[in-house]
Formats: sequence, structure tokens, C-alpha cells
Amino acid sequence: MNFEPDDDQRAFLDAVEKLAAGHAATPAIAERLQTSDALENDLAQSGFFEAMQIDELGPVAATAMVMALARMPLCTELVASALIAPWLCPGRPRPFAVLWEHDDAPTRFLPVARTLIRVRAAQVDVACIDAGDVTPVESLFAYPMGVLKQPSAIGWERLPDADAARVRDGWRVGLAAEAAGCLGAALDAVLAHVKERRQFGRPLGAFQAVQHRLAECAALVAGVKWLALHAAGSASPLDAALAAGQAQEIARKVAYDLHQFMGAMGLTLEHPLHRWTYRTKLLASDLGGAARQFTAAAQAAWPAAASTAPEGTT
Amino acid sequence: MTAPFLKEQSMEFGWTPEQEALRAQVRAVIARELPPDWDAISRHGPGSRQQTQFSLDFCPKLAAEGLLVPHWPREWGGRSAPPWEHFILGEELWAAGEPRGPQYMNVNFIGSTLMKFGTPAQQDRFLPEMAAGKAIWCQGFSEPSAGSDLAALRTRADKRGDQYVINGSKVWTSYAGLAQHCFLLARTGDGKSNIAIFLVDMKTPGITVRPIPSLIGVGDIHEVFFDDVVVPEAMRLGAEGQAWPIIGYALSQERVGIARYAFSRGVLDRMVRLLQQRGQFDDAIVQSRAGQALAACESARLLVYRVIDQRARGLPPNAESNLARVAVIAADHAVADFGLAFLPDTFSGAVFPLHLSHHERAIAAGIASGAAEIQLNLVAFDHLQLPREARA
Repeated sequence: MNFEPDDDQRAFLDAVEKLAAGHAATPAIAERLQTSDALENDLAQSGFFEAMQIDELGPVAATAMVMALARMPLCTELVASALIAPWLCPGRPRPFAVLWEHDDAPTRFLPVARTLIRVRAAQVDVACIDAGDVTPVESLFAYPMGVLKQPSAIGWERLPDADAARVRDGWRVGLAAEAAGCLGAALDAVLAHVKERRQFGRPLGAFQAVQHRLAECAALVAGVKWLALHAAGSASPLDAALAAGQAQEIARKVAYDLHQFMGAMGLTLEHPLHRWTYRTKLLASDLGGAARQFTAAAQAAWPAAASTAPEGTT
Repeated sequence: MTAPFLKEQSMEFGWTPEQEALRAQVRAVIARELPPDWDAISRHGPGSRQQTQFSLDFCPKLAAEGLLVPHWPREWGGRSAPPWEHFILGEELWAAGEPRGPQYMNVNFIGSTLMKFGTPAQQDRFLPEMAAGKAIWCQGFSEPSAGSDLAALRTRADKRGDQYVINGSKVWTSYAGLAQHCFLLARTGDGKSNIAIFLVDMKTPGITVRPIPSLIGVGDIHEVFFDDVVVPEAMRLGAEGQAWPIIGYALSQERVGIARYAFSRGVLDRMVRLLQQRGQFDDAIVQSRAGQALAACESARLLVYRVIDQRARGLPPNAESNLARVAVIAADHAVADFGLAFLPDTFSGAVFPLHLSHHERAIAAGIASGAAEIQLNLVAFDHLQLPREARA
């Protein structure tokens, strides 16, 4: 049991944070979504996405990296690159997009993806794509969203040995890590705001009505952070489902409270709060949402119960 | 929970072989020593007459196995085991419904507080008895006018020669009915700085204990009245005015000392087993709610482990323990609510005694030993660095 990174992991995570800090001054644009070519170039050169397969770093450090990079207001594809592609389809170019439900569903990162992964009950396919295969769609979510122009025209290649359940577990850990990063950054932004903003002659953060809800948010977000890191370390389907379910479960309450305390400033496109909360809102619906992850967790924890909707049918 | 692909010392969440062996040993002792009617014995909680008396039989057996105070130094009967070992022990015992009864307090914080602040005579008087599993203590903190605002306490300790005369009353005092000793807070003057701690023999003339009928177990909470109770100066713990740092130390040991989530998790497992036996667990709604309660338990477990990890590194206590308490309370309620939703019949009769005991613990979880709202205050001030609200 060791909740602190070792020297190798610390050096790696310091480098990740340094890279993110190098982009902190990127001027914000008044759009729901903001990406950055400079950030993508830095990530491409960093080698960070190989961390999972490096003995000295491993899946826990890779998951911590997802959390750290999700804290940026700038949006970049993380989960598949960090936690799935390194073992599923190494060498394929990022960014990745992952199709879970239907080939024609609006999907995040499709407009920028160079590799497409498709997961079905027990089958995983990959394909090379480019922007010409995709119609970007406007979306409330702070991700680049798009649909395939012609799903039947995609040149799918089946990965014969791929374990679809392992892809799903990795996705669950990743979505929990990304949500923990987004909500953690959003919480920090709101804390800074309520310490500065004064009403009725004192900072908003001096009101107990505000303090208690932010303290509850802090406990919830910290719980998801450790559930995600724990699940990365254990590689257990149960732990992955618990982490994802809890992340999705708390997302609505935490996002609601944070927007309440940011007030009208949080309704603007100028303040980055929406970039974190609107990513989390989409993450909260992945793989059927919290109720489905909790059901999967229950079936894994108490397996005699696994007589209804088995994994992979959603 | 093993992660064989990670080298030692990197961030990981597995157990060492020694820790696994300890857990197995504790489980074996529990399986061997708990009687068939243990669920009925533990029905009324750690403070009940049955469970307290059981603890006086069980704890000496734990002591004989080296499992009562392994974290204490050798001179007091332990072997200086690392904090994780003491915690694994607590997890397993709480998961079983806490057969140590009220004696969990001795090993979680009273003993270590006496070791740090007590005189050699006090240590000689109290520690061997605790290490033998024969000591029952109660905690004289709350008063009618001093609950969350503990510093408002009024019980007086007036110095007369080399004695103190104590007058006042305590309330909500757990375990007082059968306790031999009280870890008592009393005022030696005005203000927060004039409070002292006394180690009081509960048989001293002038002490009256009245049980309070309650929702949380028979014999759990009491009123305790002190009328001209004479306590030797030698039984004052620390100096006059030193109570606050001592209490701070004791509470830092206590805050995550009780592995309540392990009890909740154990009860949740048994609830699910019962639903499965009844053929009622094939429903996706029931499964989903069980998974939700499980996630609350595991989230609390990891936040508590985080605190133990810091303790094991020798770091000073911080507000992460309050964060963990908030999560533990949520987990208790998630499991209790699951039971109310899907096993309502077990709240009547004796179908599932441990379930009733858990429910009664859960409804007190956010009130006893520092209300949930006090934990949130401390998270806000000390963890989030929010400004303190002007007090009335």
C-alpha cells in the first residue's frame, strides 16, 4: 500500500505537469471548445503516452497522467491514448476515437481522430480515418464531436486477439480519471473565485452554506481520484466499474454546485469552468451512465447474481 | 488487490505477504472465537452489556495471540507493529461487528495518548490492564451545553490541596454504564485554555450514571453526574490547560480509527447474500443500488487508507482525515438506505440482527465523535483554506 509516487513516477508526473504548465498561458477563446496545435505537438514529442507499458511507470502513473492533463482547459484526447492503445494497437497514430454503441453516433474526438476503435460485445476493430471521413457536429459538450459520413465505407480491421472486456475496463478507469481531473480543476477554480469574490461584505467562501457544499465536493472528487488510481493498479473489472460508476454518480452534483458558486461568471464562455464541467457531463453518460456501471460492479462483486443483462450487451 | 507488474515502492495498492498473513490470522481467530449466537450478542452494539462482557472474554484471547495491541511498543506488551497492521486488525474486527466492544477505544487512542502524555505512574496503572484486554473506558466529553462546541463545557474541577473536586454533568457518554474509568474533560478556570483531562475511577463516590433510552442500541449512551467527586491530582493527564493539544492528538488517532466502512461493507455483503437466497437479486435496479452502496464503501476505504498511509510515513495529521470521515459517513448511510429499500422486513423481528445493529450505528455515524458538519467545517478551513466565518 503506497499512495505516493516513487522517484521515477514523480519525475514523470512532474514532466507532465511542466508540459501542461507550458500551455497555461494559451489565450482563451470564447468558444465551448478549445484545442491547441502547439499542445498536440508537445504531446506527440513527449512520449508520455507510452507510460503504461514502461515498467518503471505503469498503469497507475499513466492514469495519474490522464488526471493531470484533464486539468487543462485545453481539450486533448487522453483515455484511449494513455490506457488502451498502448497495449491494444501500439504504433497506431493518435488521437483516437472510440465507437461503443452505433457506428453513426456523435462521438468525441472523431473530427480530429486518426485512429478509430470500435468495440462490440466481444469484438474490437480498428481503422485509420481522417477528417474527410467525418462530419463535425455542433455540441454542448466541450469535446470535438462528429459523426462518420459513411460508416460502411470505413476500412475496419478486426483485432483477433483483442479483449473487448479489457478495453471496457480501461475506458472505465480512464473516464473516472478524466472526470477526477476535470472536476478537480473546476473545484480549484471555484475555490479561487469564492476566496476573492465578496458579497455582503465578506468573501463568498466565508459563508458556511458555500463551505459545506464545497467540502462535500472535495470529498467526492478525492474519492474518485483514488478509486481510479486503485483500479488502474489492481486491473480488476470490479474496481474499474466502481471507479467509473462513482465518477458518473458524483458528476451531476459536483458540476451543479461548482456552477452555483461561480454564479453568472460560470455561464460565460470567457471563464474556463464550462470546459471542465461540460466534458464531465458527457463522461457521465459513457457506457450507459452510473447505474449501468454500478450494476456491472454488483455482478462482479456478487457473481451469483449475474443472471441479467451480461456485460457487452449494452 | 495485488499488482505484480509494479515494482516495490511505486504507487500501488496491494498488500504485502506479511499483511495478508496477518489478515488471515485475524480472520481465523474471529472464526474460532465468535460463538454461534454472536449476531444476537452484537445486536445492541459495542456498548451493550452483552457485547461489553463478551469483550472481556474475547480481548484477552486476542492479547494472547498478540493481536490486541501489536502497534504498541514492547515495554507495554506490543511489538511496535506498523500502523497498517493495527488498521488491518481494526478492519477485520469491525467487519465482524466489533467483538472488542468498547475496548476498541483503548487500542485506538486512549492507550497511545497515555503513552505520550501520561506520567509513569498513570501508564503503569492503566496500560497493562488495556494490553490484557480487561479495561473498559468511557469518554467524558459532551455536556448538555457543549456538544460540537466542546470548549463550552461547564463541568468544574476545583483544586483542593493535592486533589480536585469535580462537579457537573456529561451527556451522550458511550459505554459509561459498564466503564471502570472515564477519560474526563473538566474546567479548571474560564476560557478554552483552562480545561484539563482527568482519569477518573467510575466507582468514585459522587458519580451517578443514567442510561438514556435511544435509537442507537441498548446501554450505549448515558448521562453521567459528578457531585463533589474527589480525584487525586496524580490522575490529571498532562498539565492544567494542556487539554486541547492532548485532545487534538487523541482525536487525530480516533478520527479514522474505526473502520466503519468495513462493517458497512460486511453488512452489505450479507444483505446481498440474503437477497440472492430469496431470489431478489436478479433485478438490475437492486444490483445497481447495491453497486452504488459498494462504491461509497470503497471510496471511503481508500480515503481512510490515504490517511493511514500518511500516518505510516510519520506525517503529521491533517484535514484529509476529516475528508475521510465525510466519506465514511456517506458509506454508512448508503448501506443503511439500501437495506431500508430492499430488505424492509428485516427491521422487524430477529431475521438479521447485525443489519439492525448496523442501522443503529449508521444513524449515529454523522453525529458521534464530531458531527459531519464539524468535519465539513474542518475540510473547508484546513483542506480548502476557505476563510473562517465570523462567529456569533
